[in-house]
Amino acid sequence: MWSFILRRILYNVPVYLGIVFFLMLALRVNDPVHSFLGKNASPEEYDLKEAAMGLDDHILVQYTTFMGQLVTFDFSEESWANKGDTVGEMIGRSIIPSISITVPALCITSLISILIALASAFYRGRIPDKVMMFGAVLGMSISFLVYIIFGQYFGAYVLNENIDGELFAIQGFEAGPAHWVHYCLLPVMISVVVSMGYDTRFYRAVMVEESGKDYITTARAKGATKKKIMLVHMLKNAMIPIVTRIMITLPFLVMGSLLLEVYFNIPGMGRLLYSSIEKFDFPVTQALVALFAGLFLLSVILTDVLYALVDPRVRLS
Amino acid sequence: MLKRFIQSRGVRKFRRDRFAVVAFLIVLVYLTAALAIALGAITREDTTVRVGPDSQVGSFETPTDAQRLSYVSFHIDTIETAAKNSRGPKAYEELELFGAVPAIANVEEAKARVDELWKRFDELSDISESDEGLDEAGRASLAEFADEVDALWTVPEANRSLKQSWATWLGTDRQGRSILLRALYSIKVAVQVGLVAAFVSVLIGTILGGIAAFFGGWVDHVIVWLYSMFSAIPYIVLLMVLASMFLGSSVENTLIPVYVSFCMTFWIGPCRVIRGEVMKLRELEYVQAATTLGFGRFRVLLRHVLPNTAHLMFINFSLLFVGAIKAEVILSFLNLGVKNQPSWGVMISQAKQEVIGGFFWQIGAATFFMFVLVLAFNILSDALQDAFDPKHVG
Repeated sequence: MWSFILRRILYNVPVYLGIVFFLMLALRVNDPVHSFLGKNASPEEYDLKEAAMGLDDHILVQYTTFMGQLVTFDFSEESWANKGDTVGEMIGRSIIPSISITVPALCITSLISILIALASAFYRGRIPDKVMMFGAVLGMSISFLVYIIFGQYFGAYVLNENIDGELFAIQGFEAGPAHWVHYCLLPVMISVVVSMGYDTRFYRAVMVEESGKDYITTARAKGATKKKIMLVHMLKNAMIPIVTRIMITLPFLVMGSLLLEVYFNIPGMGRLLYSSIEKFDFPVTQALVALFAGLFLLSVILTDVLYALVDPRVRLS
Repeated sequence: MLKRFIQSRGVRKFRRDRFAVVAFLIVLVYLTAALAIALGAITREDTTVRVGPDSQVGSFETPTDAQRLSYVSFHIDTIETAAKNSRGPKAYEELELFGAVPAIANVEEAKARVDELWKRFDELSDISESDEGLDEAGRASLAEFADEVDALWTVPEANRSLKQSWATWLGTDRQGRSILLRALYSIKVAVQVGLVAAFVSVLIGTILGGIAAFFGGWVDHVIVWLYSMFSAIPYIVLLMVLASMFLGSSVENTLIPVYVSFCMTFWIGPCRVIRGEVMKLRELEYVQAATTLGFGRFRVLLRHVLPNTAHLMFINFSLLFVGAIKAEVILSFLNLGVKNQPSWGVMISQAKQEVIGGFFWQIGAATFFMFVLVLAFNILSDALQDAFDPKHVG
């Protein structure tokens, strides 16, 4: 087992080294100092800024320095756009808002779409299945942005006018469970509606595939009811792909739903990334993208390990 | 060859699916429209010039009295500004509103007419702004008045065209530009982005995936390493980083940033799928037979192996086409996408201010046109998968 874990980690190390290098290059195509200071900056100012970030060094020197900072979790670089804040502080502050939207959204979406997928697989090929799947395709065909715009309009503006109060905030965020419904429930609901189409189709495909396996035929032959087969035999076995999918989405949770955060002005990581790119806040952008990639790879490793725990065959391959 | 393809099992299965055939026809209609627009049926200029008053509602909605008055005042005002221009009568002679020119040829006559119309306008707007508002008779006279104001314009025979008469059919945006023409022009932009992004991504993916699986060894390791790298970042982050590379450069206002970021992000999917398929095909007897016959490795790969992954290429193409159109909307909203020309993404993100004011025409038009295309493509890719991919679960 340990050798398997070690192999997985070793396998992903070059991937991480590569992606960080690629991202660093991509972020330097457009001279960051020049973009941030604008055209009117004096050469001295320019040189000063460039030297402070080490951008005048050779790219390999920059790469090793940045890798070193990443490995030691040293995010003490000062942000360019927000004077006095370090990158680490800015990222730290934005984790809670992101998570308070994405974790509930993920839980609700997974629960509802697994239930719908079960029902759909139960009625496979018949009218309820067709209606549900067509609904999923319809839902997938509308842009995320349209859901957000209409969600905010009807959920915040129109609703607030009709009930003479403010149930959902139009935008903004405050931490704490007491404010959660006010600020986060509406974005969460929008997020659930948006991702439901994709998830339902995926889970249904998993269930349908599972329903063709031999153990289902055996259970049927032994006289188990259809309900029992679906809920006990099939769901249990379908849990592996389901858990994998949920695990894979975990790193995206940290990033949050970028669009939702930008639109509802929620100070999460997605909005932080957006505003750092928009304001050419180079240190923040670079640290954030490297962090995302690291988190993603970590969760991939974790998924593989979990998989290997459940299914011993995986360990040998 | 073509006949054999049409009579193949997959195509017959596809044609039996009525939804899929309809979806296919819709896609064809969109492609034809895109081609016509690319050939000049609607120019970029048509989508940027003023065709009428600001935020005019589409023809399915009856405007309120206040809205109607504001449209009327726009028309009188346009004529008046030109007629009383300090540059003299020349400005009036040159006045044109998307093909329409003033009906009254003489400037002095026009000035008198405008003053007369303003008087009646003031009367009507006073009543409309009072607490009672306009009654039935008032409304009738407003409609009559609007017709009279309309008569200020005439469209010369030479300027008459379909797009001239339909320009305000779905209303206008905040700058008085035609929503219909902008939404139609966006078809071209969307098809362009979708075709280029999907084609190039599938091409890159197929080549890399095929080579990786067929040659194996260190080539395979390098390519797998490459795509693991690119898939280690949430795709929206990758899109943003790649698109932001072009900010401030000379190609910022073209579609190149969109193309580059899409192609570099989307090739992963087809690459992974094709690699898996080629790995399987490589072991089959007919491929080994070809190798034994002494054909070169590239020839076996190109002539014998890759053609058998064609169905996967088609399916991925259609999935990526939709993916590109949807991603364009997101990028445009984040100000990193299409610039200097209309696209559904640009329209939707512009519309977010209008929606708060209860004006839905722009977002509605963009969403509708996009929805039909994306839905057709979604149904099409499902049907393609059902018909050509035996492994797919339907």
